[in-house]
Amino acid sequence: MQTVLSLNTIAKAYGPIKALKGVSFDVPEGCVFGLLGPNGSGKTTLLSIILDILKADTGSFSWFGQPGSPATRKQIGSLLETPNFYQYLSAVDNLNITQAISGRGNAAEIDRVLEIVKLTERKKSKFSAYSLGMKQRLAIAAALLGDPQVLVFDEPTNGLDPVGIAEIRELIKELAQRGKTIIMASHLLDEVEKVCTHVAILKRGTLLTAGAVDEVLSNEDIVEVSSNDIHSLLAHLAEFPNYTHIKQEANKVQIFFPVGTAKMEDINRFCFEKGIVLNLLLVKKKSLETKFFELTND
Amino acid sequence: MLALIQIEWLKIKKYPAFWWMLGIVALTYPGINAMTYYGYLKATTGKEVTNNIAKMLLGNPFAFPETWHSVAYFSSFFILLPSIVVIMLVTNEYTFRTHRQNIIDGWSRNQFITSKLFDVLIVAIVATLVYVVVAGGFGIYADSSVLYQWSSQLQYIPLFLLQTFAQLSIAFLLGYLVKKAFIALGIFLFYYLIVENIAVAYARFKMNDIGRFLPFEISDRLLPSPAFFSRFGKDAKASYDHALAIVPEHIAYTIVLTAGIWLICYAVHKRRDL
Repeated sequence: MQTVLSLNTIAKAYGPIKALKGVSFDVPEGCVFGLLGPNGSGKTTLLSIILDILKADTGSFSWFGQPGSPATRKQIGSLLETPNFYQYLSAVDNLNITQAISGRGNAAEIDRVLEIVKLTERKKSKFSAYSLGMKQRLAIAAALLGDPQVLVFDEPTNGLDPVGIAEIRELIKELAQRGKTIIMASHLLDEVEKVCTHVAILKRGTLLTAGAVDEVLSNEDIVEVSSNDIHSLLAHLAEFPNYTHIKQEANKVQIFFPVGTAKMEDINRFCFEKGIVLNLLLVKKKSLETKFFELTND
Repeated sequence: MLALIQIEWLKIKKYPAFWWMLGIVALTYPGINAMTYYGYLKATTGKEVTNNIAKMLLGNPFAFPETWHSVAYFSSFFILLPSIVVIMLVTNEYTFRTHRQNIIDGWSRNQFITSKLFDVLIVAIVATLVYVVVAGGFGIYADSSVLYQWSSQLQYIPLFLLQTFAQLSIAFLLGYLVKKAFIALGIFLFYYLIVENIAVAYARFKMNDIGRFLPFEISDRLLPSPAFFSRFGKDAKASYDHALAIVPEHIAYTIVLTAGIWLICYAVHKRRDL
Protein backbone atom coordinates (compact mmCIF):
# COMPACT_ATOMS: atom_id res chain seq x y z
CA MET A 1 0.00 0.00 0.00
CA GLN A 2 1.35 3.40 -0.97
CA THR A 3 1.83 6.20 1.50
CA VAL A 4 -0.29 9.27 0.77
CA LEU A 5 1.10 11.51 3.47
CA SER A 6 4.30 11.16 5.42
CA LEU A 7 5.23 13.37 8.37
CA ASN A 8 8.77 13.53 9.59
CA THR A 9 9.50 15.06 13.04
CA ILE A 10 7.28 18.10 12.53
CA ALA A 11 7.74 20.70 15.27
CA LYS A 12 6.03 24.05 15.70
CA ALA A 13 6.10 26.61 18.49
CA TYR A 14 4.02 29.74 19.04
CA GLY A 15 6.39 31.79 21.12
CA PRO A 16 6.96 29.83 24.34
CA ILE A 17 4.16 27.36 23.60
CA LYS A 18 5.29 24.22 21.85
CA ALA A 19 2.30 23.22 19.77
CA LEU A 20 3.94 20.22 18.10
CA LYS A 21 6.99 18.39 19.38
CA GLY A 22 8.47 16.31 16.60
CA VAL A 23 5.46 14.44 15.25
CA SER A 24 6.02 11.65 12.70
CA PHE A 25 3.57 9.20 11.14
CA ASP A 26 2.43 7.90 7.77
CA VAL A 27 -1.02 7.84 6.26
CA PRO A 28 -1.51 4.83 3.97
CA GLU A 29 -3.55 5.09 0.80
CA GLY A 30 -7.24 4.28 1.07
CA CYS A 31 -7.56 4.58 4.83
CA VAL A 32 -9.76 6.78 6.98
CA PHE A 33 -7.22 8.33 9.28
CA GLY A 34 -8.54 9.86 12.49
CA LEU A 35 -6.43 12.51 14.19
CA LEU A 36 -7.49 12.69 17.82
CA GLY A 37 -6.58 14.74 20.80
CA PRO A 38 -8.02 17.06 23.42
CA ASN A 39 -8.51 20.76 22.70
CA GLY A 40 -5.16 22.41 22.16
CA SER A 41 -3.34 19.17 21.42
CA GLY A 42 -2.09 20.42 18.04
CA LYS A 43 -4.48 18.76 15.58
CA THR A 44 -5.37 21.86 13.63
CA THR A 45 -1.79 23.12 13.76
CA LEU A 46 -0.69 19.83 12.21
CA LEU A 47 -3.31 20.00 9.45
CA SER A 48 -2.44 23.66 8.82
CA ILE A 49 1.19 22.73 8.32
CA ILE A 50 0.47 20.00 5.80
CA LEU A 51 -1.73 22.47 3.89
CA ASP A 52 0.97 25.19 3.93
CA ILE A 53 -1.02 27.63 6.04
CA LEU A 54 1.55 27.44 8.81
CA LYS A 55 5.28 26.96 8.47
CA ALA A 56 6.80 24.15 10.53
CA ASP A 57 9.83 25.20 12.60
CA THR A 58 11.57 21.91 11.86
CA GLY A 59 10.73 18.64 10.17
CA SER A 60 9.21 17.93 6.80
CA PHE A 61 6.24 16.29 5.17
CA SER A 62 5.48 14.84 1.78
CA TRP A 63 2.30 14.22 -0.18
CA PHE A 64 2.41 11.32 -2.63
CA GLY A 65 6.16 11.12 -2.07
CA GLN A 66 6.76 14.76 -3.04
CA PRO A 67 7.30 17.85 -0.89
CA GLY A 68 4.08 19.82 -0.34
CA SER A 69 3.40 22.34 -3.13
CA PRO A 70 0.49 24.11 -4.82
CA ALA A 71 0.32 21.18 -7.25
CA THR A 72 -0.11 18.63 -4.45
CA ARG A 73 -2.67 20.83 -2.65
CA LYS A 74 -4.79 21.01 -5.80
CA GLN A 75 -5.26 17.24 -5.58
CA ILE A 76 -6.59 17.41 -2.02
CA GLY A 77 -10.07 18.46 -0.96
CA SER A 78 -9.73 20.25 2.36
CA LEU A 79 -11.87 21.70 5.08
CA LEU A 80 -9.68 23.38 7.68
CA GLU A 81 -11.12 24.67 10.95
CA THR A 82 -13.90 26.95 9.68
CA PRO A 83 -15.79 27.33 6.39
CA ASN A 84 -13.89 30.14 4.62
CA PHE A 85 -15.92 31.82 1.90
CA TYR A 86 -16.69 35.26 0.48
CA GLN A 87 -19.68 36.47 2.50
CA TYR A 88 -21.22 38.52 -0.31
CA LEU A 89 -21.11 35.69 -2.87
CA SER A 90 -23.55 32.83 -3.34
CA ALA A 91 -22.65 29.15 -2.87
CA VAL A 92 -22.23 28.72 -6.61
CA ASP A 93 -20.05 31.83 -6.99
CA ASN A 94 -17.89 30.71 -4.08
CA LEU A 95 -17.48 27.25 -5.57
CA ASN A 96 -16.63 28.84 -8.92
CA ILE A 97 -13.65 30.44 -7.16
CA THR A 98 -12.68 27.13 -5.52
CA GLN A 99 -12.96 25.48 -8.92
CA ALA A 100 -10.92 28.16 -10.67
CA ILE A 101 -8.11 28.05 -8.11
CA SER A 102 -7.91 24.29 -7.67
CA GLY A 103 -8.75 23.26 -11.21
CA ARG A 104 -10.99 20.57 -9.69
CA GLY A 105 -14.46 20.09 -11.19
CA ASN A 106 -16.65 22.13 -13.54
CA ALA A 107 -20.14 23.68 -13.56
CA ALA A 108 -21.91 20.30 -13.57
CA GLU A 109 -19.63 19.11 -10.78
CA ILE A 110 -20.58 22.16 -8.68
CA ASP A 111 -24.23 21.17 -8.98
CA ARG A 112 -23.36 17.58 -8.07
CA VAL A 113 -21.53 18.47 -4.84
CA LEU A 114 -24.23 20.95 -3.82
CA GLU A 115 -26.75 18.15 -4.26
CA ILE A 116 -24.68 15.82 -2.07
CA VAL A 117 -24.67 18.32 0.80
CA LYS A 118 -28.33 19.24 0.17
CA LEU A 119 -27.76 22.89 -0.67
CA THR A 120 -29.24 22.84 -4.19
CA GLU A 121 -32.29 24.86 -3.20
CA ARG A 122 -30.18 27.54 -1.56
CA LYS A 123 -27.33 27.55 -4.05
CA LYS A 124 -28.00 31.13 -5.13
CA SER A 125 -28.30 32.53 -1.60
CA LYS A 126 -25.46 34.61 -0.27
CA PHE A 127 -23.05 32.81 2.04
CA SER A 128 -23.70 35.44 4.74
CA ALA A 129 -27.36 34.33 4.86
CA TYR A 130 -26.44 30.71 5.61
CA SER A 131 -26.84 29.04 9.01
CA LEU A 132 -23.78 27.59 10.70
CA GLY A 133 -24.70 24.09 9.53
CA MET A 134 -25.21 25.22 5.95
CA LYS A 135 -21.84 26.96 5.94
CA GLN A 136 -20.25 23.73 7.11
CA ARG A 137 -22.05 21.81 4.36
CA LEU A 138 -20.77 24.23 1.75
CA ALA A 139 -17.24 23.73 3.04
CA ILE A 140 -17.68 19.98 2.65
CA ALA A 141 -19.05 20.52 -0.85
CA ALA A 142 -15.96 22.57 -1.72
CA ALA A 143 -13.73 19.76 -0.48
CA LEU A 144 -15.66 17.20 -2.55
CA LEU A 145 -15.38 19.27 -5.73
CA GLY A 146 -13.79 17.28 -8.54
CA ASP A 147 -13.95 14.03 -6.55
CA PRO A 148 -10.36 14.23 -5.23
CA GLN A 149 -8.54 11.08 -4.15
CA VAL A 150 -7.52 12.60 -0.81
CA LEU A 151 -9.68 14.57 1.61
CA VAL A 152 -8.68 16.46 4.73
CA PHE A 153 -11.51 17.21 7.16
CA ASP A 154 -10.97 19.21 10.32
CA GLU A 155 -13.97 18.64 12.60
CA PRO A 156 -16.30 17.96 9.66
CA THR A 157 -19.47 17.70 11.75
CA ASN A 158 -19.02 21.04 13.53
CA GLY A 159 -22.31 22.89 13.73
CA LEU A 160 -24.35 20.12 12.13
CA ASP A 161 -27.59 18.77 13.56
CA PRO A 162 -27.86 15.04 14.44
CA VAL A 163 -29.25 14.20 11.01
CA GLY A 164 -26.45 16.18 9.38
CA ILE A 165 -23.86 14.36 11.51
CA ALA A 166 -25.26 10.98 10.46
CA GLU A 167 -25.27 12.08 6.81
CA ILE A 168 -21.65 13.16 6.92
CA ARG A 169 -20.71 9.89 8.62
CA GLU A 170 -22.41 7.96 5.81
CA LEU A 171 -20.73 10.19 3.25
CA ILE A 172 -17.32 9.48 4.75
CA LYS A 173 -18.01 5.75 4.77
CA GLU A 174 -19.12 5.91 1.16
CA LEU A 175 -16.01 7.86 0.16
CA ALA A 176 -13.85 5.33 1.98
CA GLN A 177 -15.56 2.48 0.14
CA ARG A 178 -14.67 4.15 -3.12
CA GLY A 179 -11.03 4.02 -2.10
CA LYS A 180 -10.55 7.65 -1.07
CA THR A 181 -8.01 8.50 1.58
CA ILE A 182 -9.55 10.61 4.31
CA ILE A 183 -7.63 12.41 7.03
CA MET A 184 -9.99 13.60 9.69
CA ALA A 185 -9.42 15.51 12.92
CA SER A 186 -12.09 15.21 15.53
CA HIS A 187 -12.70 15.07 19.23
CA LEU A 188 -15.93 13.16 18.78
CA LEU A 189 -14.48 9.75 19.56
CA ASP A 190 -17.65 7.88 18.93
CA GLU A 191 -17.73 9.32 15.44
CA VAL A 192 -14.13 8.46 14.74
CA GLU A 193 -14.59 4.93 16.02
CA LYS A 194 -17.50 4.46 13.66
CA VAL A 195 -15.65 5.47 10.50
CA CYS A 196 -11.88 5.39 10.97
CA THR A 197 -9.54 2.57 10.02
CA HIS A 198 -6.47 4.28 11.47
CA VAL A 199 -5.91 6.73 14.31
CA ALA A 200 -3.20 8.96 15.69
CA ILE A 201 -3.61 10.41 19.17
CA LEU A 202 -1.96 13.71 20.04
CA LYS A 203 -1.57 15.29 23.42
CA ARG A 204 0.04 18.69 23.99
CA GLY A 205 1.93 18.37 20.75
CA THR A 206 3.25 14.88 21.34
CA LEU A 207 2.14 11.86 19.35
CA LEU A 208 1.02 9.22 21.85
CA THR A 209 0.17 6.48 19.40
CA ALA A 210 -0.57 5.96 15.72
CA GLY A 211 -1.66 2.99 13.64
CA ALA A 212 -4.59 0.82 12.60
CA VAL A 213 -7.56 1.17 14.95
CA ASP A 214 -7.48 -2.52 15.91
CA GLU A 215 -3.80 -2.35 16.80
CA VAL A 216 -4.12 0.84 18.79
CA LEU A 217 -7.13 -0.35 20.75
CA SER A 218 -6.30 -3.99 21.40
CA ASN A 219 -3.03 -3.97 23.26
CA GLU A 220 -4.74 -6.36 25.69
CA ASP A 221 -7.65 -8.81 25.83
CA ILE A 222 -10.41 -8.02 28.30
CA VAL A 223 -12.71 -10.83 29.43
CA GLU A 224 -15.82 -9.95 31.37
CA VAL A 225 -17.35 -12.60 33.64
CA SER A 226 -20.06 -12.72 36.27
CA SER A 227 -21.80 -15.19 38.57
CA ASN A 228 -24.28 -15.14 41.44
CA ASP A 229 -21.53 -15.05 44.06
CA ILE A 230 -19.23 -12.30 42.84
CA HIS A 231 -16.89 -12.45 45.86
CA SER A 232 -16.19 -16.13 45.51
CA LEU A 233 -15.66 -15.63 41.76
CA LEU A 234 -13.15 -12.89 42.40
CA ALA A 235 -11.29 -14.96 45.01
CA HIS A 236 -10.99 -18.02 42.75
CA LEU A 237 -10.03 -16.08 39.63
CA ALA A 238 -7.01 -14.77 41.49
CA GLU A 239 -5.55 -18.27 41.04
CA PHE A 240 -6.09 -18.29 37.27
CA PRO A 241 -2.75 -18.26 35.38
CA ASN A 242 -1.31 -15.65 32.98
CA TYR A 243 -3.59 -12.68 33.48
CA THR A 244 -2.12 -9.21 33.95
CA HIS A 245 -4.69 -7.82 36.35
CA ILE A 246 -8.25 -8.21 37.59
CA LYS A 247 -10.82 -5.54 38.24
CA GLN A 248 -14.27 -5.71 39.83
CA GLU A 249 -16.86 -3.50 38.25
CA ALA A 250 -20.29 -3.55 39.96
CA ASN A 251 -21.46 -7.15 39.69
CA LYS A 252 -18.96 -8.06 36.97
CA VAL A 253 -15.30 -8.99 36.99
CA GLN A 254 -12.90 -7.91 34.25
CA ILE A 255 -9.78 -10.02 33.66
CA PHE A 256 -7.01 -8.50 31.53
CA PHE A 257 -4.63 -10.65 29.45
CA PRO A 258 -1.72 -9.87 27.13
CA VAL A 259 -3.09 -9.47 23.62
CA GLY A 260 -4.15 -12.80 22.00
CA THR A 261 -3.78 -14.93 25.14
CA ALA A 262 -7.33 -14.95 26.57
CA LYS A 263 -8.87 -18.44 26.19
CA MET A 264 -12.57 -18.41 26.96
CA GLU A 265 -12.88 -22.22 27.23
CA ASP A 266 -10.11 -22.31 29.84
CA ILE A 267 -11.79 -19.67 31.96
CA ASN A 268 -15.16 -21.37 31.70
CA ARG A 269 -13.67 -24.79 32.61
CA PHE A 270 -11.61 -23.29 35.46
CA CYS A 271 -14.63 -21.65 37.07
CA PHE A 272 -16.85 -24.70 36.66
CA GLU A 273 -14.21 -26.93 38.25
CA LYS A 274 -14.16 -24.52 41.21
CA GLY A 275 -17.91 -24.96 41.51
CA ILE A 276 -18.80 -21.55 40.05
CA VAL A 277 -21.40 -21.30 37.30
CA LEU A 278 -20.90 -18.25 35.12
CA ASN A 279 -23.89 -16.26 33.95
CA LEU A 280 -21.76 -13.95 31.80
CA LEU A 281 -18.66 -14.63 29.72
CA LEU A 282 -17.58 -12.34 26.95
CA VAL A 283 -14.54 -10.75 25.33
CA LYS A 284 -14.80 -7.02 25.57
CA LYS A 285 -13.28 -4.70 23.03
CA LYS A 286 -11.84 -1.61 24.56
CA SER A 287 -13.71 1.46 23.33
CA LEU A 288 -11.75 4.23 21.71
CA GLU A 289 -13.01 6.49 24.44
CA THR A 290 -11.50 4.30 27.17
CA LYS A 291 -8.25 4.11 25.31
CA PHE A 292 -8.25 7.84 24.69
CA PHE A 293 -8.73 8.70 28.36
CA GLU A 294 -6.17 6.11 29.36
CA LEU A 295 -3.60 7.74 27.08
CA THR A 296 -4.42 11.37 27.55
CA ASN A 297 -5.10 11.47 31.30
CA ASP A 298 -2.14 12.42 33.40
CA MET B 1 -1.54 35.48 -15.05
CA LEU B 2 -4.81 35.70 -16.94
CA ALA B 3 -6.27 33.02 -14.68
CA LEU B 4 -5.38 35.10 -11.61
CA ILE B 5 -7.09 38.16 -13.08
CA GLN B 6 -10.18 36.11 -13.93
CA ILE B 7 -10.37 34.76 -10.38
CA GLU B 8 -9.95 38.24 -8.88
CA TRP B 9 -12.68 39.47 -11.20
CA LEU B 10 -14.97 36.72 -9.83
CA LYS B 11 -14.32 38.17 -6.37
CA ILE B 12 -14.68 41.83 -7.36
CA LYS B 13 -17.55 41.85 -9.83
CA LYS B 14 -20.16 41.04 -7.21
CA TYR B 15 -18.59 43.09 -4.44
CA PRO B 16 -21.00 45.97 -3.77
CA ALA B 17 -18.32 48.30 -2.32
CA PHE B 18 -16.44 48.17 -5.62
CA TRP B 19 -19.45 49.45 -7.57
CA TRP B 20 -20.21 52.04 -4.91
CA MET B 21 -16.65 53.27 -5.21
CA LEU B 22 -16.91 53.40 -8.98
CA GLY B 23 -20.20 55.28 -8.72
CA ILE B 24 -18.81 57.80 -6.24
CA VAL B 25 -15.62 58.28 -8.25
CA ALA B 26 -17.73 58.75 -11.37
CA LEU B 27 -19.57 61.53 -9.56
CA THR B 28 -16.64 63.06 -7.68
CA TYR B 29 -14.16 63.45 -10.53
CA PRO B 30 -16.55 65.45 -12.72
CA GLY B 31 -17.92 67.18 -9.60
CA ILE B 32 -14.67 68.67 -8.31
CA ASN B 33 -13.59 69.66 -11.81
CA ALA B 34 -16.97 71.21 -12.56
CA MET B 35 -16.70 73.27 -9.38
CA THR B 36 -13.29 74.53 -10.42
CA TYR B 37 -14.49 75.12 -13.94
CA TYR B 38 -17.43 77.23 -12.82
CA GLY B 39 -15.13 79.16 -10.54
CA TYR B 40 -13.02 79.84 -13.60
CA LEU B 41 -16.05 80.85 -15.67
CA LYS B 42 -17.21 83.21 -12.94
CA ALA B 43 -13.85 84.89 -12.79
CA THR B 44 -13.44 85.24 -16.54
CA THR B 45 -16.87 86.04 -17.93
CA GLY B 46 -18.04 89.59 -17.69
CA LYS B 47 -16.99 92.87 -19.10
CA GLU B 48 -14.99 94.13 -16.17
CA VAL B 49 -11.31 94.69 -16.66
CA THR B 50 -10.55 92.18 -13.93
CA ASN B 51 -12.43 89.50 -15.82
CA ASN B 52 -10.31 90.01 -18.85
CA ILE B 53 -7.14 90.06 -16.80
CA ALA B 54 -8.19 86.82 -15.16
CA LYS B 55 -8.89 85.26 -18.55
CA MET B 56 -5.52 86.37 -19.82
CA LEU B 57 -3.74 85.02 -16.76
CA LEU B 58 -5.50 81.72 -16.49
CA GLY B 59 -5.97 80.73 -20.08
CA ASN B 60 -8.57 78.01 -20.12
CA PRO B 61 -7.31 75.20 -17.85
CA PHE B 62 -10.10 72.90 -19.01
CA ALA B 63 -9.54 73.25 -22.74
CA PHE B 64 -7.28 70.87 -24.66
CA PRO B 65 -4.52 70.13 -23.98
CA GLU B 66 -4.36 71.69 -20.49
CA THR B 67 -7.43 69.69 -19.39
CA TRP B 68 -5.35 66.52 -19.16
CA HIS B 69 -3.19 68.22 -16.57
CA SER B 70 -5.85 70.16 -14.66
CA VAL B 71 -8.34 67.31 -14.37
CA ALA B 72 -5.59 64.89 -13.30
CA TYR B 73 -4.49 67.33 -10.62
CA PHE B 74 -7.93 68.00 -9.15
CA SER B 75 -9.13 64.39 -9.44
CA SER B 76 -6.03 63.08 -7.70
CA PHE B 77 -7.24 64.72 -4.45
CA PHE B 78 -9.75 61.89 -4.23
CA ILE B 79 -7.42 58.91 -4.03
CA LEU B 80 -9.18 58.25 -0.74
CA LEU B 81 -12.18 56.67 -2.43
CA PRO B 82 -10.41 53.91 -4.36
CA SER B 83 -8.08 53.48 -1.35
CA ILE B 84 -11.04 52.42 0.76
CA VAL B 85 -11.91 49.71 -1.76
CA VAL B 86 -8.31 48.51 -1.94
CA ILE B 87 -8.11 48.27 1.85
CA MET B 88 -11.44 46.44 1.95
CA LEU B 89 -10.36 44.00 -0.77
CA VAL B 90 -7.33 42.91 1.20
CA THR B 91 -8.80 43.00 4.72
CA ASN B 92 -11.85 41.06 3.49
CA GLU B 93 -9.54 38.16 2.76
CA TYR B 94 -8.50 38.14 6.42
CA THR B 95 -12.03 38.65 7.73
CA PHE B 96 -13.43 35.81 5.64
CA ARG B 97 -10.20 33.81 6.14
CA THR B 98 -10.18 33.25 2.41
CA HIS B 99 -6.49 34.23 2.38
CA ARG B 100 -6.01 30.76 3.88
CA GLN B 101 -8.57 29.02 1.71
CA ASN B 102 -7.02 30.33 -1.51
CA ILE B 103 -3.72 28.71 -0.50
CA ILE B 104 -5.41 25.50 0.68
CA ASP B 105 -7.20 25.28 -2.66
CA GLY B 106 -3.91 25.40 -4.52
CA TRP B 107 -2.50 28.90 -4.94
CA SER B 108 1.10 29.54 -4.03
CA ARG B 109 1.73 32.36 -1.58
CA ASN B 110 3.27 34.40 -4.39
CA GLN B 111 0.18 33.91 -6.51
CA PHE B 112 -1.93 35.31 -3.70
CA ILE B 113 0.09 38.54 -3.59
CA THR B 114 0.15 38.73 -7.38
CA SER B 115 -3.63 38.42 -7.42
CA LYS B 116 -3.86 41.33 -4.98
CA LEU B 117 -1.45 43.35 -7.12
CA PHE B 118 -3.92 42.85 -9.97
CA ASP B 119 -6.75 44.04 -7.70
CA VAL B 120 -4.89 47.27 -7.07
CA LEU B 121 -4.08 47.58 -10.75
CA ILE B 122 -7.71 46.99 -11.72
CA VAL B 123 -8.91 49.71 -9.31
CA ALA B 124 -6.18 52.11 -10.54
CA ILE B 125 -7.10 51.48 -14.18
CA VAL B 126 -10.80 51.99 -13.47
CA ALA B 127 -10.05 55.33 -11.73
CA THR B 128 -7.80 56.32 -14.65
CA LEU B 129 -10.52 55.50 -17.18
CA VAL B 130 -12.96 57.71 -15.30
CA TYR B 131 -10.32 60.47 -15.30
CA VAL B 132 -9.74 60.11 -19.06
CA VAL B 133 -13.46 60.33 -19.80
CA VAL B 134 -13.88 63.37 -17.52
CA ALA B 135 -10.78 65.19 -18.84
CA GLY B 136 -11.76 64.44 -22.44
CA GLY B 137 -15.30 65.57 -21.77
CA PHE B 138 -14.16 68.89 -20.31
CA GLY B 139 -11.75 69.36 -23.19
CA ILE B 140 -14.52 69.00 -25.74
CA TYR B 141 -17.00 71.07 -23.76
CA ALA B 142 -14.76 73.93 -22.59
CA ASP B 143 -13.39 75.15 -25.89
CA SER B 144 -14.17 73.32 -29.10
CA SER B 145 -11.96 75.65 -31.11
CA VAL B 146 -8.79 73.98 -29.80
CA LEU B 147 -9.85 70.35 -30.23
CA TYR B 148 -6.93 69.79 -32.59
CA GLN B 149 -4.59 70.10 -29.59
CA TRP B 150 -6.14 67.10 -27.86
CA SER B 151 -3.10 64.87 -28.25
CA SER B 152 -0.46 66.99 -26.60
CA GLN B 153 0.07 66.49 -22.85
CA LEU B 154 -1.30 62.95 -23.06
CA GLN B 155 1.59 62.03 -20.76
CA TYR B 156 -0.73 62.99 -17.89
CA ILE B 157 -2.70 59.79 -18.47
CA PRO B 158 0.19 57.41 -17.60
CA LEU B 159 1.29 59.84 -14.86
CA PHE B 160 -2.20 59.75 -13.32
CA LEU B 161 -2.21 55.94 -13.55
CA LEU B 162 1.23 55.69 -11.96
CA GLN B 163 0.32 58.06 -9.15
CA THR B 164 -2.96 56.27 -8.48
CA PHE B 165 -1.32 52.84 -8.52
CA ALA B 166 1.52 54.03 -6.28
CA GLN B 167 -0.78 55.59 -3.69
CA LEU B 168 -3.18 52.64 -3.76
CA SER B 169 -0.18 50.38 -3.19
CA ILE B 170 0.52 52.25 0.05
CA ALA B 171 -3.12 51.72 1.05
CA PHE B 172 -2.72 48.04 0.19
CA LEU B 173 0.42 47.69 2.29
CA LEU B 174 -1.40 49.19 5.25
CA GLY B 175 -4.38 46.87 4.86
CA TYR B 176 -2.09 43.90 4.29
CA LEU B 177 0.00 44.51 7.40
CA VAL B 178 -2.70 45.78 9.76
CA LYS B 179 -5.32 43.17 8.68
CA LYS B 180 -8.22 45.05 10.29
CA ALA B 181 -10.20 47.24 7.88
CA PHE B 182 -11.15 50.04 10.25
CA ILE B 183 -7.77 50.36 11.89
CA ALA B 184 -6.07 50.42 8.48
CA LEU B 185 -8.55 53.01 7.20
CA GLY B 186 -8.07 55.11 10.33
CA ILE B 187 -4.30 55.10 10.01
CA PHE B 188 -4.57 55.82 6.29
CA LEU B 189 -6.89 58.80 6.74
CA PHE B 190 -4.95 60.26 9.63
CA TYR B 191 -1.62 59.95 7.85
CA TYR B 192 -2.78 60.93 4.37
CA LEU B 193 -4.97 63.84 5.32
CA ILE B 194 -3.14 65.26 8.32
CA VAL B 195 0.33 64.01 9.14
CA GLU B 196 1.89 64.08 5.72
CA ASN B 197 0.33 67.38 4.68
CA ILE B 198 1.67 69.09 7.78
CA ALA B 199 5.08 67.45 7.41
CA VAL B 200 5.35 68.41 3.73
CA ALA B 201 4.28 72.00 4.36
CA TYR B 202 6.70 72.33 7.26
CA ALA B 203 9.58 70.79 5.32
CA ARG B 204 8.92 73.03 2.34
CA PHE B 205 9.76 76.13 4.36
CA LYS B 206 12.09 74.86 7.03
CA MET B 207 13.89 71.79 5.78
CA ASN B 208 14.80 72.33 2.16
CA ASP B 209 11.68 70.52 0.96
CA ILE B 210 12.75 67.05 2.03
CA GLY B 211 9.05 66.37 2.57
CA ARG B 212 8.91 65.47 -1.09
CA PHE B 213 10.39 62.09 -0.14
CA LEU B 214 7.45 61.17 2.08
CA PRO B 215 5.44 58.21 0.74
CA PHE B 216 2.47 60.04 -0.79
CA GLU B 217 4.36 63.21 -1.66
CA ILE B 218 6.82 61.25 -3.80
CA SER B 219 4.04 60.47 -6.25
CA ASP B 220 2.04 63.67 -5.59
CA ARG B 221 4.85 65.47 -7.37
CA LEU B 222 4.05 63.58 -10.58
CA LEU B 223 1.10 65.91 -11.07
CA PRO B 224 2.20 69.48 -10.24
CA SER B 225 -0.39 72.25 -9.86
CA PRO B 226 -1.84 73.22 -13.24
CA ALA B 227 -0.03 75.74 -15.38
CA PHE B 228 -2.23 78.73 -14.52
CA PHE B 229 -0.83 78.71 -10.99
CA SER B 230 2.46 79.76 -12.57
CA ARG B 231 1.02 82.97 -13.94
CA PHE B 232 0.93 84.88 -10.70
CA GLY B 233 4.38 86.37 -10.65
CA LYS B 234 7.98 85.45 -11.11
CA ASP B 235 8.25 83.20 -8.05
CA ALA B 236 5.23 81.18 -9.09
CA LYS B 237 6.69 80.71 -12.56
CA ALA B 238 10.01 79.57 -11.12
CA SER B 239 8.40 77.12 -8.75
CA TYR B 240 6.15 75.75 -11.53
CA ASP B 241 9.16 75.21 -13.77
CA HIS B 242 10.95 73.51 -10.92
CA ALA B 243 7.93 71.27 -10.23
CA LEU B 244 7.88 70.24 -13.88
CA ALA B 245 11.63 69.67 -13.93
CA ILE B 246 11.60 67.24 -11.04
CA VAL B 247 8.77 65.10 -12.46
CA PRO B 248 11.16 62.66 -14.20
CA GLU B 249 13.13 62.01 -11.05
CA HIS B 250 9.89 61.56 -9.09
CA ILE B 251 8.78 59.00 -11.66
CA ALA B 252 11.89 57.03 -10.75
CA TYR B 253 11.34 57.47 -6.98
CA THR B 254 7.71 56.42 -7.32
CA ILE B 255 8.60 53.29 -9.23
CA VAL B 256 11.28 52.38 -6.69
CA LEU B 257 8.97 52.98 -3.72
CA THR B 258 6.10 51.05 -5.27
CA ALA B 259 8.34 48.16 -6.26
CA GLY B 260 9.68 48.17 -2.70
CA ILE B 261 6.17 47.99 -1.26
CA TRP B 262 5.28 44.97 -3.36
CA LEU B 263 8.59 43.27 -2.65
CA ILE B 264 7.90 43.66 1.06
CA CYS B 265 4.47 42.08 0.59
CA TYR B 266 5.91 39.14 -1.34
CA ALA B 267 8.69 38.61 1.20
CA VAL B 268 6.40 38.84 4.25
CA HIS B 269 3.78 36.57 2.70
CA LYS B 270 6.33 33.95 1.82
CA ARG B 271 7.36 33.59 5.46
CA ARG B 272 4.44 34.40 7.64
CA ASP B 273 1.88 32.04 9.14
CA LEU B 274 -1.54 32.60 7.64
